[in-house]
Amino acid sequence: MEKVIENVQKKFSLSEVTSAHGYFITCEKKDAVSLVTYLKNVEGFKHLVLITAVDWIKDNKFQLTYLLNNPQMKKELGVRTYIERSVWPEESVMDSAHHLWPAAKTYQRELHEMFGIDFPDSPEVNEPLILEYWDDIPPYRKDFDTKQYSEDTYFPREGRETDDPATYMKEMLYPFEGEKNV
Amino acid sequence: MGNSTKTSFKDVLYPFTVWKNILKEPVTIRHPEKREGSDRYRGFHTNDIDKCIGCGTCEEICQNAAIDMVPCEGVDTKPGDSGLRPRVDYGRCCWCALCVDVCTTNSLGMSNNFRWSVEGENRGEGNEANGTPDDYRFIIGAENKYWDKAEKGYKKPDGYDLTPPDRVQMDHLSVEERSDSFIEMMKGYSKEQAKKEADRCVECGICTATCPAHMGIPAYIRAIREDDLEEGLRILYETNPLPEVCGRICTHKCESVCSIGNKGDAVSIRWLKRYIADNVPAEKYKEILGTSDLAKNGKKVAVVGAGPSGLSAAHYLALMGYQVTVFEALPYAGGMMRYGIPEYRLPYDQIDKDINYIVSLGVEIKTNCKVGKEISLEELKRDYDAVFAGTGLHLGRSTRIENSDHKKVFQSIDLLRKITLREEIYVPEKIVVIGGGNVAMDITRSLARIQRQKYGQVDIVTTCLEPADGMLADDEEVDEAKEEGAIITPSYGPQSIEIIDEENVKGLHVAKCLHIFDEEGRFNPAFDMEDSQFYEADMIIESIGQASDISYIPQETQETLEFNPRRQIVADPDYQVKNEPWLFVGGDIAKGPDVITGISTGHLAAVGIDRYLRGDEK
Repeated sequence: MEKVIENVQKKFSLSEVTSAHGYFITCEKKDAVSLVTYLKNVEGFKHLVLITAVDWIKDNKFQLTYLLNNPQMKKELGVRTYIERSVWPEESVMDSAHHLWPAAKTYQRELHEMFGIDFPDSPEVNEPLILEYWDDIPPYRKDFDTKQYSEDTYFPREGRETDDPATYMKEMLYPFEGEKNV
Repeated sequence: MGNSTKTSFKDVLYPFTVWKNILKEPVTIRHPEKREGSDRYRGFHTNDIDKCIGCGTCEEICQNAAIDMVPCEGVDTKPGDSGLRPRVDYGRCCWCALCVDVCTTNSLGMSNNFRWSVEGENRGEGNEANGTPDDYRFIIGAENKYWDKAEKGYKKPDGYDLTPPDRVQMDHLSVEERSDSFIEMMKGYSKEQAKKEADRCVECGICTATCPAHMGIPAYIRAIREDDLEEGLRILYETNPLPEVCGRICTHKCESVCSIGNKGDAVSIRWLKRYIADNVPAEKYKEILGTSDLAKNGKKVAVVGAGPSGLSAAHYLALMGYQVTVFEALPYAGGMMRYGIPEYRLPYDQIDKDINYIVSLGVEIKTNCKVGKEISLEELKRDYDAVFAGTGLHLGRSTRIENSDHKKVFQSIDLLRKITLREEIYVPEKIVVIGGGNVAMDITRSLARIQRQKYGQVDIVTTCLEPADGMLADDEEVDEAKEEGAIITPSYGPQSIEIIDEENVKGLHVAKCLHIFDEEGRFNPAFDMEDSQFYEADMIIESIGQASDISYIPQETQETLEFNPRRQIVADPDYQVKNEPWLFVGGDIAKGPDVITGISTGHLAAVGIDRYLRGDEK
């Protein structure tokens, strides 16, 4: 595996290489698709395990990870890259990898739907994958307020009531002394 | 389409090829299948009802608003337990397990069970098979579900905590730096430390009930997190006009019930309070608290004693427009905060910061003016519309053992007062202190400092009836006293003081204490006389508790007073004295004893005085 990474480093500039929990290498956005192409065609990482993203909202970045598998070596290698995080409704854009693995189109469709990352030219990338009639910001973005969405979308069951622990304890344990705060 | 209608020979045979499987086992699993969920499956919830404290953090984190906190049969509301328990609505739950991950007591879990259908009598109208949606809403762990005792299923993994279990430590003087000095030991939190510590709070509010003043703890911690110390100060002053003091020496009972203290350190509530008070400059207080222009109502109230309760009463009365005069026997205001607690725990300038603000509201403090001597209580009754008395416990209690009336036997409270007044006190090379509370630690650590200054070494033995794990003093006080060179010998009780002559003592005889209270719970220590010790000493200090001096109250008034078994004056919830409606009491003579209880009683009495003088119904 070290040899593979050495080979990669001769051709691409990597900003990070880690092997703490499996091998992960990080490259620039412009190199990402060329790098996975190289890994597939030259180094034998013929199988795409998945493409996924992490929303680093504070850094204003999306981290994309292409997890590849080399069936001969029985090894996996993750290729990471960071792309600019757009302000919704503007979408972030990344080059497509569907020409390398047909399955990439499904992951890209998912990332488009869940994170608002567009992969122009990727087949069916604008079709919803699991969300129907979605009209909110993509739900895997960290600024999506799950609870708010839940409250707005699903009606509360009749007869539900709840107590605030501190207020309830005041009523039960010191109702008289509570008056001083009035 | 044309081609597809042409039928080949293979197509004709194809349906029959499946017959080859006719004798094989089916690959599908028959329904109803009995497959068990995997070991860490996130199935139906479990809750250990006895371990749960009803903090509501699960409700707070639930992204689907699926959890309500509701009263639960058989669970009582008590300090540290709201008495509420989570009820989940399975119409909304998405099984994400955030509630389990955040649970402050680790009482919530998930079983690996995932099948539940309601039948029989729970069957709902019009939905014969599956009951109504309400059937799938239940108090977790309290409704005898079949999975309640399941062992498998998702539990929060060890070492994975959404709230860090360790509190942010406060910088402090090392033993070398502090052991011969009265400079304040704890240095206070930096902004970064305070915000980090504030981040540990889950804002459940369980602490508020336990705080004697019921301070808005979660709200002021949130203000720290949001870096809005002005708002923090306003929240502090709603219930506590002595935040610099309480931020340092409060007994912090709140921390003993802190929900996240169930699986780690409690939030450092006291230090966070100090952080707010320390970091708002005194000259901005009036502007922030909106007290620059207080309207007067023309009524006058006298306060006896400028301790925590008297100052608290004076503060809240002044806010309500009363002209308040505080009468203080000693040269400076502060009471036990100044004359009991040593400077290294509570520097005098910090007490002054709190008191000066109260004075700035128009409160007059007459020092060196002892009620009962310089002025009588009757005069106060005559000249003022109401009187509040918070005179505290300034008399030391004696062990009354043999020779305890000797010249070289002292009361800790008298010595502490003299140290504050910078009076010369007798500090010999060998000292024995009797007592195991915080006052005993205060005198031990104060004298250890003076011994080190005078002799370059410490020789103090502090002995108490309680065992090491049951000492009344805070653990850190005991530990720091030991670090500073004192020897603490728990589980020994004083028997007699051996004297050399009228001027000199030889030491203290103690015996192993077997138990402190008898079977009826009365104070009645028993000793093993076989296991006795003798501690040599030139000076013996008694620090076993204090008593009130209410001799300033005229005899005929005293006769109408009622006392509880702890010798505290009985008053109504407004702290108004029965039979003497003009008189209100507070602080250690009525409740406690401790500073924060004093502050609370002073506040309640101020509200009570206002009610009384306006002639409002209670």
